[in-house]
Amino acid sequence: MRGADYFLKRTLFALVTVFVAITLNFIIFRATPGDAVTGLRCQFCTVEFKDQLRAELGLDKSKWEQYVIYLQSLAEGDMGRSFVTREPVVDELIDPLLNTLPMIALGTAFSIVFGILSGVVAAWRRGTFLDWGNLSFSLLFYSLPTQWLGLMLLIVFAGTLPASGIADPFLAFTDPSWWDTFVDRLEHMILPAATIGIVLYGEYALIVRSSLMEALSEDYVLTARAKGLRNWAIVWRHAFRASLLPVATLIALSLGYLVAGAILVEAVFSYPGIGLVTYDAVTERDYPVLQGAFLILTLSVVFANYLADLLYFKLDPRVAE
Amino acid sequence: MTEPVLAVEDLHVWFDLEQGGELHAVQGVSLALQTGERFGFVGESGCGKTTTILALMGLLPSSASVAGRVLLEGEDILADGEESVSPHRWTDIAMVFQGAMNAFNPVKRVGEQIAEPMKLHEIAEGRTARRQVGELLERVGIPAARASSYPHEFSGGMRQRAAIAMALACKPKVLLADEPTTALDVMVQAQILQLLIGLADDFGLTLVLVTHDLPIVAQVCSRAAVMYAGEIVEIGATDTLYHDPRHPYTRLLFAATPDLYDEEPVLSIPGTPPRLDRELVGCPFAPRCDRAFAPCDRVKPRLVATDTGHSAACHLNDPALKAAS
Repeated sequence: MRGADYFLKRTLFALVTVFVAITLNFIIFRATPGDAVTGLRCQFCTVEFKDQLRAELGLDKSKWEQYVIYLQSLAEGDMGRSFVTREPVVDELIDPLLNTLPMIALGTAFSIVFGILSGVVAAWRRGTFLDWGNLSFSLLFYSLPTQWLGLMLLIVFAGTLPASGIADPFLAFTDPSWWDTFVDRLEHMILPAATIGIVLYGEYALIVRSSLMEALSEDYVLTARAKGLRNWAIVWRHAFRASLLPVATLIALSLGYLVAGAILVEAVFSYPGIGLVTYDAVTERDYPVLQGAFLILTLSVVFANYLADLLYFKLDPRVAE
Repeated sequence: MTEPVLAVEDLHVWFDLEQGGELHAVQGVSLALQTGERFGFVGESGCGKTTTILALMGLLPSSASVAGRVLLEGEDILADGEESVSPHRWTDIAMVFQGAMNAFNPVKRVGEQIAEPMKLHEIAEGRTARRQVGELLERVGIPAARASSYPHEFSGGMRQRAAIAMALACKPKVLLADEPTTALDVMVQAQILQLLIGLADDFGLTLVLVTHDLPIVAQVCSRAAVMYAGEIVEIGATDTLYHDPRHPYTRLLFAATPDLYDEEPVLSIPGTPPRLDRELVGCPFAPRCDRAFAPCDRVKPRLVATDTGHSAACHLNDPALKAAS
């Protein structure tokens, strides 16, 4: 069967990448000078206490032993406990991740729909005022620093939309219906999602435009015209489909980085997602949580890559060869 | 003579140049093609062959402006731009493109692309269309089952055959073939040409072949036009053009073709064609011509009938001028 081979290869490749990422994740945290205990400063933090703590945390073992233990516990879904809350890292991360994903999904959906639409229109009406305006706005949005755009949105919309957090803390007292909760969550999601969506919109519109313009200059577009196809049919049925190849890859890739990119947005809007957890873990030197967050970020990039590969295979019949 | 299936009257094409100004790519081409005729356009790169046949189907980019008339069985198909030419595309005039390697969309199946114009022009749909696609593929020498292949799964020669099958999808009256055999090896080239000749006979097609390869024209076409600097400099029966050329360019062009059995060295024509972004004075070929004389630099020769029954645009054919110099 066409593709079984390809599928297997890509899956294997993704798994190897995951393993390498996990290993790097281990090395990075051990490569920093000192360890989790070195930085402790308190009245009773004597050398003996620190050694005892190291033994307790397993830091006195050799790096190799630590690595094996790390892999074993990871396989059991154990990522250690947070230094700050003493809760298991997995529990610390699962809720923020579930907060981040819908927010990102909303922003991405917005940017994909409008990015593709305006990219197609711009390429189709190349050289017109419409194209020029589209291009200028896309470039502008694309070049805006995410955190700055977030702050500006915050300033403008702070009165009309909730500016921070994920839910209205007082809503719980009013015995809200399922719908009320949903609307409240959505309202809190809008500003961070819009920030991500606007920046991505610029990027996607630019990619779609250039990719479609390239496709429109191909010979088969001339063939399609000669066959008597109308303009929109050529754009839609021939060029768009072919131009989707680079677009799909880039969108899938940017999705992976998005989880990481949420750090800035979530910090601005105090949105309790995976980004904010990462941010807090850095400031509080909560290594286990940080390590867990890193793992999620790398996994999401690898997974998005994997998805892009599969999508590419679906879109381009030439890929398998 | 019966009414020509395709007639071109004083066709001009200008391209807007990005740095300003215009390029006069086609300068007054006129010709008439009879049904079933096999006609050739010859000339070196940039002489306006491809531009001319693209103009016939209204396929030039928006930077081009076209003047003149293209009459398909008496109807001026370029009169109302897209509106008037669009219904004739593929149903009456179809085309096999230069570099057919890229004539197919890489992400769509070959059969689907051949069937597309059938559906579009409401000739056949669904099962009927699929059957016709299969028949066309078989006719050009490709197993019907390969309709479900993607273009990249075809070899260069097969893709060119498929492109020909695609061109015949709507049973056109005129088939334009732009360098249909470039980038193919000689064996495949010969097969494709044989195929084109056979199809033209079977379908009663009027074939217009554009090429820079003279032997191909000699092999396929009964009549041909030699183009230089955007205009036809000589037009007539291929035999006469070959044996009794009345324009120095035609003569030199044939002399520049290597002959396997001839010991004579291959000649090249010195110089380059004139730039077409400025007004030309005199004969465009005069600077490169080995027989240019007094009037050539000043007076532009017109295409006139010669004693051999074809036409050439050269002052050498005017006995009065020749005698005067």
